[in-house]
Amino acid sequence: MEILKVENLCKTYGKGKTQVKALKNVSFSMQKGEFAAVVGESGSGKSTLLNCIGALDEPDSGSVYLDGRTLFSMKENERTIFRRRNIGFIFQSFQLVPELNVEQNIIFPLLLDNRKAQPEQLEEILEVLGLKERRKHLPGQLSGGQQQRVAIGRALITKPMMILADEPTGNLDSGNSRDVISLLHQASKRYQQTILMITHNQNLASSADRVFRVADGVLTELGEGR
Amino acid sequence: MKGYLDLIPVLEKIHRKQSRMTRLCITLAVFLIAAIFGMGDMEIRNQRAMALKDDGAWHAAFRGVTKEQSAMIGAYPEVKRSSRYAVTNYKLDKDYTIEGKKAAVCGFDEDFLELFPLARIVEGHFPTEADEAVVTDNLQKQTEISVGDYLTLETPKGGELRYRVTGISETTSMMAEYDAIGLFLNSESYEQSFMGDTEQKDLECYVEFKPLCNIQKSIKKISSEMGIPVDKVGQNVKILGMMLQSNDSYIVKIYLTAAMLAVLVMVAGILMITGSMNSQVAKGTEFFGMLRCLGATCAQVRRFVRREALNWCRTAIPAGLLLSVIVTMALSWLLRVLSPRYFAEMRLGISLTGLAAGTVIGVVTVLLAANVPARRAAKVSPLTAVSGNAGFVRKVKRAAGNLLRVDISLGVHHAGGSGRTLFLMAGSFAFSVILFLAFTTTIDFVNYAINPLHPWQPDLSIVSRDETCSIPKEIMEELKGNPAVKRMYGRSFAYSVPVTGGGEAAEETIPMHLISYEENQFAWAEDSLIEGNVKDAEEGGGVLLDYKARDALYKAASGGADDVAKNAGRSTDKGAGSEAAEGTDVWKAVTIPTISGQKDYPVAGILSKTPFDSEHGIIVCSEETFREITGEENYTILDIQLVRNASEEDVEKIRNLADGRTFSDRRKGNQEVRGAYYSFVLFVYGFLAVIVLITIFNIINSISMSVSARLTQFGTMRAIGMSDKQVIRMVAAEAGTYALTGIAAGAAIGIPVNKVCYEMLITSRWGAAWPVPAAALLLMAAVVIGSVILAVAGPAKSIREMSVVETIGAL
Repeated sequence: MEILKVENLCKTYGKGKTQVKALKNVSFSMQKGEFAAVVGESGSGKSTLLNCIGALDEPDSGSVYLDGRTLFSMKENERTIFRRRNIGFIFQSFQLVPELNVEQNIIFPLLLDNRKAQPEQLEEILEVLGLKERRKHLPGQLSGGQQQRVAIGRALITKPMMILADEPTGNLDSGNSRDVISLLHQASKRYQQTILMITHNQNLASSADRVFRVADGVLTELGEGR
Repeated sequence: MKGYLDLIPVLEKIHRKQSRMTRLCITLAVFLIAAIFGMGDMEIRNQRAMALKDDGAWHAAFRGVTKEQSAMIGAYPEVKRSSRYAVTNYKLDKDYTIEGKKAAVCGFDEDFLELFPLARIVEGHFPTEADEAVVTDNLQKQTEISVGDYLTLETPKGGELRYRVTGISETTSMMAEYDAIGLFLNSESYEQSFMGDTEQKDLECYVEFKPLCNIQKSIKKISSEMGIPVDKVGQNVKILGMMLQSNDSYIVKIYLTAAMLAVLVMVAGILMITGSMNSQVAKGTEFFGMLRCLGATCAQVRRFVRREALNWCRTAIPAGLLLSVIVTMALSWLLRVLSPRYFAEMRLGISLTGLAAGTVIGVVTVLLAANVPARRAAKVSPLTAVSGNAGFVRKVKRAAGNLLRVDISLGVHHAGGSGRTLFLMAGSFAFSVILFLAFTTTIDFVNYAINPLHPWQPDLSIVSRDETCSIPKEIMEELKGNPAVKRMYGRSFAYSVPVTGGGEAAEETIPMHLISYEENQFAWAEDSLIEGNVKDAEEGGGVLLDYKARDALYKAASGGADDVAKNAGRSTDKGAGSEAAEGTDVWKAVTIPTISGQKDYPVAGILSKTPFDSEHGIIVCSEETFREITGEENYTILDIQLVRNASEEDVEKIRNLADGRTFSDRRKGNQEVRGAYYSFVLFVYGFLAVIVLITIFNIINSISMSVSARLTQFGTMRAIGMSDKQVIRMVAAEAGTYALTGIAAGAAIGIPVNKVCYEMLITSRWGAAWPVPAAALLLMAAVVIGSVILAVAGPAKSIREMSVVETIGAL
């Protein structure tokens, strides 16, 4: 079942001499439960692609369909709510609320949606992420890998159909990086979530179902990872 | 946590220190509003009490009305209370006397005592029978008459009327000054004996209208239906003004000015809070970006910021209110200490109006102030969270200039780089300047509205009845040993002395008053000296002229030219005629006829004013010179100033010395003027002090917040080689740019605002031309610059002590 469909996406930054074409007619699609990695050099346009898919940034032209709905025809407020319910984000720098403990950080997106967390769902996520013992800890009391796991938990709590991860292992050592990727794999299988991950790490990319490469704004599929 | 807004108290608890500055800002803004409104309320209450005491509670007085008309006016449904009132010998120019003292006789209904508290009966009751009367307590003090005794009123026609005293009333300041007795009868008994001597205009009907009634409309209705001309209707402007029921255009202008000042105070509060919240939001950009990324809508972020602001209000507003209560209570206490008699009934200054205004306006201000940062926070792109460099790379439109040293250039560029920050920072500084300039007009207003007591103002005076030099100097000798006398000074008067100016052109003689001074009066005259010196005149080497005398001499010599002062184009109270009169010698010496023939006296100096009035001017000389001219050695007036704790007995002893001469007691009037002046002065300077304090706090707070928000950036600069001195210079340059822009903007707007306020409060009433408020502007500029220097000193310390490694580590 097709979840994501990207058609002729173009994005240009700057004007005149400083103009940079970040995305040039990018088109691809992803199926439900697929885990894809995007590789490319710095400035190649991979973050721009992720931001456009996540509706954080608006493309100059082209369309993004998520579960058949086109993101950019929605109004800002509608798009935000759609994103909140259907897209989970994982950042390189974790972006946890330092004042909230593990549990509170995980359920935070639900609170924004005026919803309550199901205790069994929270328990399950904490279990899967291996954070049960650390549920009352503040982010400052966790290692980098644990913090990223909290961030993954936060992305999972709303049961989004799509998770976008921008260099989720960028701040982690190799051991923790492997754990995080493994968790993302588990999530995609367990909850049938589609994951698009940006990474510099070829080894990690190769563990994905599909691997894309972005160079000078042009996306090419390198093939299946595993 | 049940909702995302529950994060606010969690954040608040942890970041209490970081939000301290913002809470302080809210506290100060609420304090500013509550204190100013509270002080305003306090002053209005005081003014109302004063007006009720001095002018009475009546609203309108219909003059020249008959008994029947009075009754009909009282029957109108809008009228709460009314009383007939009639007076004989109001000007004390007829020979109605009691125990040899002049008396004014009034007749009124008992309700008049409610309308006119000045006539309050302190002992006994209102007269009900035809032969009963109330008398003012000065008669009681002088003759020991008491309730139940009989007194005799002698009439100009030689008749005698006998009354039984049923009550004693307070003596008004006017009665005390003229040493006259007030005799109050009921309307019927007045009618029986005095209607023949009462002028039609002195028959009045005083009216107090019911609450919530449209007084102006009712006055018009009554006067048209009763056929009373509008010019025969007097209004108690002060009381009506305070009830917002006055049609007096000047009162309306005062309200407009007060409203304008209130709006300025509110805007200043909004700017202060907005500025500090803006910095607070700037610090949380990445956090808001994260919220947006996680799916918070713009509305949710706005709500978050507003709720956060309201959360700060929970502690900041009560703190501001408490501070304002302390300040207003301290002011009330000070007023009572300074002028206990005048403010004895004043409550210890908790103003519910002030508190309500502070709370309501405080919350509204915070919500309004939170609006801009809330919108700004809501606009934070979710990308700031993804990119992870929020707040570190600011969007700037142009690069810093390289005309100045790099650190200064960066500081100036940083201040000017963000239009919003510059507007908020410089705007809040500018508003302090505008507020100060607007409020300084109230100082001029007080000085015009209430003349403070001059140092020469006496408490008691013994005055010659026939205005001759008939008060022997021996009285002074007798008073010398009296411990109740602080100072005494006598004056001799010679009226309309024909004086000729010096020089060839002077021929015409001008009638001027000649007055002798002694050492005290010469010393006070120094303050009014425009030209020359006082000492020569004091030592008998010449005379002093007031500016009127000089101008009259010049005018006579120049063939009756128009008013000299007017030609000189300046105000007439400062002797502006000097410009026209300069260059001539017509007033350098005067010729005065003495008992031994005409004699020339050099003019030692010119005075801008004297305590006396004369059409053609005043000549002041020493007692010796006066004797040389007139041959008189005694005084016309002997003024006495008493020590603070002088008793009534002391005053009585001095009164006895007067021995048939007019004895004038000005203590009550002086007390009233002094009380009114102190209350206004304290009120106005209180306002100004609050504004200056708020300015200092606001500047220190704003600069400190701005620096702490960018400490990481400074750390980066230190890491790339900037010395701590350079960083401090950069901060100082930035703060200086805000200050100078603020002062310039404040002056550009504040000076016209000052002009408008001045013209509404002063020019429209007293006609004085608006002066450029240079001193106030300079003072405020000094306060702003001084505060900026202080403001930079604090962050400079943190910059010096900053650990570059730790700061960079946070990146």
